[in-house]
Amino acid sequence: MTGPSGAGANPPATASRAATASGVNTATGTGTSTGKGPSTGPATASAGRAAPAGVTPGTAVRPDPLKLDALGPNGPFRSRERLTISDVAGAPMAELSLVPRLFVHRAMAALRKAETMPAEERLAALARAAEAFEHGAPAGIPTDEYTHLVSRMSGMPISVVRSAARGIARSVAGAGHDAGCARPMAAVESWRDPATREGRAVWTRRAEVFAVHAAGNHPGVHSLWPEALALGYRVAVRPSRREPLTPYRLITALRDAGFGDDQVVLLPTDRTVADDILRAADLSMAYGGDEVVHKYAHDGTVLPQGPGRSKILVSGGDWRPHLDMIVDSVADEGGTACVNTTAVYVEGDPTPLAEALAERLAAIPSLPPEDEGAVLPTQPVQTARAVEKYLLDHAGDATPRLGGDGIVDPLPGGGAVLRPAVFQVDRPDAPQTGIELGFPCVWVAPWSAKDGAGPLRDTLVLTAITEDARLVDRLVDDPSISNVYLGDHPTYWMRPDVPHDSYLGEFLMRTKAVIRD
Amino acid sequence: MTPLTDLGLRLPEPVLDRPPGEAVPETEFIEAAMRWHFDPATGSPFWLRAAGDLGFDPRRDVHTIADLAKFPNLVDLLREVPVFDLVPRGYGPDPGIGGVFESGGTTGPPKRVVFLDDWFDWLIDYSLADLAARGSPTGVDWLAVTPSGPHMFGAFIERFVRRAGRLPFTIDLDPRWVKRVIAEGHADEADRYADHLIDQVRHVLRTQDIRVMVITPPLLERLARQDDLVELVRAKVRTVEWGGAHMDADTRSLYMTEIFPGASLYGRYGSTMILGAAVERHGLTADDPCVFDPPSPYITFSVVDPETLRPVEYGASGQVVMSHVSRSALLPNNLERDLATRVEPLPGSAQVGDSVADVRPVPVFGGETVVEGVY
Repeated sequence: MTGPSGAGANPPATASRAATASGVNTATGTGTSTGKGPSTGPATASAGRAAPAGVTPGTAVRPDPLKLDALGPNGPFRSRERLTISDVAGAPMAELSLVPRLFVHRAMAALRKAETMPAEERLAALARAAEAFEHGAPAGIPTDEYTHLVSRMSGMPISVVRSAARGIARSVAGAGHDAGCARPMAAVESWRDPATREGRAVWTRRAEVFAVHAAGNHPGVHSLWPEALALGYRVAVRPSRREPLTPYRLITALRDAGFGDDQVVLLPTDRTVADDILRAADLSMAYGGDEVVHKYAHDGTVLPQGPGRSKILVSGGDWRPHLDMIVDSVADEGGTACVNTTAVYVEGDPTPLAEALAERLAAIPSLPPEDEGAVLPTQPVQTARAVEKYLLDHAGDATPRLGGDGIVDPLPGGGAVLRPAVFQVDRPDAPQTGIELGFPCVWVAPWSAKDGAGPLRDTLVLTAITEDARLVDRLVDDPSISNVYLGDHPTYWMRPDVPHDSYLGEFLMRTKAVIRD
Repeated sequence: MTPLTDLGLRLPEPVLDRPPGEAVPETEFIEAAMRWHFDPATGSPFWLRAAGDLGFDPRRDVHTIADLAKFPNLVDLLREVPVFDLVPRGYGPDPGIGGVFESGGTTGPPKRVVFLDDWFDWLIDYSLADLAARGSPTGVDWLAVTPSGPHMFGAFIERFVRRAGRLPFTIDLDPRWVKRVIAEGHADEADRYADHLIDQVRHVLRTQDIRVMVITPPLLERLARQDDLVELVRAKVRTVEWGGAHMDADTRSLYMTEIFPGASLYGRYGSTMILGAAVERHGLTADDPCVFDPPSPYITFSVVDPETLRPVEYGASGQVVMSHVSRSALLPNNLERDLATRVEPLPGSAQVGDSVADVRPVPVFGGETVVEGVY
């Protein structure tokens, strides 16, 4: 294991560059493979766990792989077609049941037919599910074991997984309140509100069935869609093959807490069936890259959740007081989130900042994901090599300040840490600044007042250190910048009641006029 | 049923003319077929032209089904060849044309074959016996939701129902148009076309007494999305036969146990390139693998490692090699794109070659090669 190392002292990898094209968001990322299980037929077991509790943190191998059944409208379904989900070292961890198209359409039809639970029951069930998710053992998997499994499966540092699990629980418990933040001030929640006697807007669902193509980069992806349940939608989640455990355990908790099997389903599918889930839903949300954003750009029923390309602008004075914030923005959450900073723009010579950033990031140790001190993400070696190759192939004329020799640091126990990379470009509109990768990887660019807002566009979160109120006006007005943080606030800052891709309720709800006697 | 020429003369090699169910000695059959197809007096122009480039003499070197592996895979030539060149000249000037059929056209321009009446009759007799052994109803009305036009499947079913059933109901179905609009990124248009087909199915099912329905798996799946159609099928249809595409084991199980538990459901695994199909083994349950037994030695399968082309072990997965040998046609050693599990023939059967199970396309899990972005 590579210990902490000083700047430049840690050339992580010089071995051969794998030619595989597998990416960070592919099945190969977790060493998946398909296999036919024995013909067990639909499962009747309600829990997926196949081994006793009490896995010691640090151990990677379970006696039997977890059985992650599909969670269909008639209960758990164990299919013959299964995908083996492996840990970052390639050891099989779980068997995910993949459902065929027929199952998908019947499940979606069942959601459509189902009656929505009354609002107060939904909110009470969400609260119970949140409690169980954080402190209980849904699907027979206690929280400590769950976070350990997720860190081994996804390569996400366990501290990040723990905090994400708490975040999910908070979001689930607060889903009703958070969703309500989107309600227009002039609208009321129910036609029963006395205000409707005079005529009022009532906040209502636009549709009935909501689907999610989830991502596996960060468990926190699953903290948003429970708002749809709170609003009375029936919800279908297609999990990521990279980390299906979080939605499996969360949906199990929701069902245990009172949501019927026909209220929320987990539909793991082969890629060829994935679009059927979206087409069969009224509204949906799809996580993915630029291709997903383009695919659904003109489809008003799909809310794409694309690359973040979050940025920091340091104008005017000294960047030094903000170095901690910049380092955190790049590396917090393992650098795997859309709110992690991809590019830093600095007024004046960017070299000192790039070097300081490189020194700080180089000091982060390479540790296996389940280690309490882990900060950096781990991936299967082959996936890590593919990411590395992509980075080096696309770095072009950028000056490497860290990671120029490679970013892959194999761990003795299997898998490889993705070590941070810092590259410096010589102009603010350098195309490299748009390259967002699933580890701490940052492009440092020069910026001057005459460049204005242009290079800062197409951004999920922009943190701006600036005194220029007119520039701030432009940034806040710019439709391609989703969030603007002014001052020493890291790009990953978020709170459930503050939107980060607008409020989901803006997409799910509408207002209608009601007047009554 | 020995074919007679237009002059009323019996054709040579009578071992090629046995009815279904009658034992056929493998070596005698294959050697007779080689003599027939490669004798300049009786062979087809297609094979007589190809013979010079084979590097072996089929009449001397091919004796068994396994020897068919010596042949190169020439099916790609069937895209361009004037199709009457495929007819053995030994039939004389009036061989009795049953039809000209084309492959689906998934992998380029379609490949064409000719069905002669003697083979069509054999295949129908064979299928009648299979239907009877299954206990399927006879003399009833059928609905075929199968590719029409130049496709073998629909034409076969229509002709078969004239013998096995009462009225053959059909719909127009052009699978190439569906493939094209999907390839061009118009999934919505493919959906509209499928809805158009399903609407026609609904009209027939609602108004007619359909007892047997033949349908492709994608359209059966679309049908099963509509509650009213599921109810109609449950109420009327005793036998659902599927073919023309794959059906995975989970889907098959859902039909058998949840959706159409009262009907008999069985599959037909065929290909234009074998001028026919293998039918599902009788008596299988939802938990059994879906096994197809081909009518050897006319239609034979072997399951091979796609790299070495050597047979895989029983129970292992490989790619399917298909052959057709009859008096009317010779199409040996065609490596199909399907994956399947190699299965032993039924104990006690005289079948030569492999049976297959879990037939499926190459899985599509890859393709997501994008590295950029965090999702």
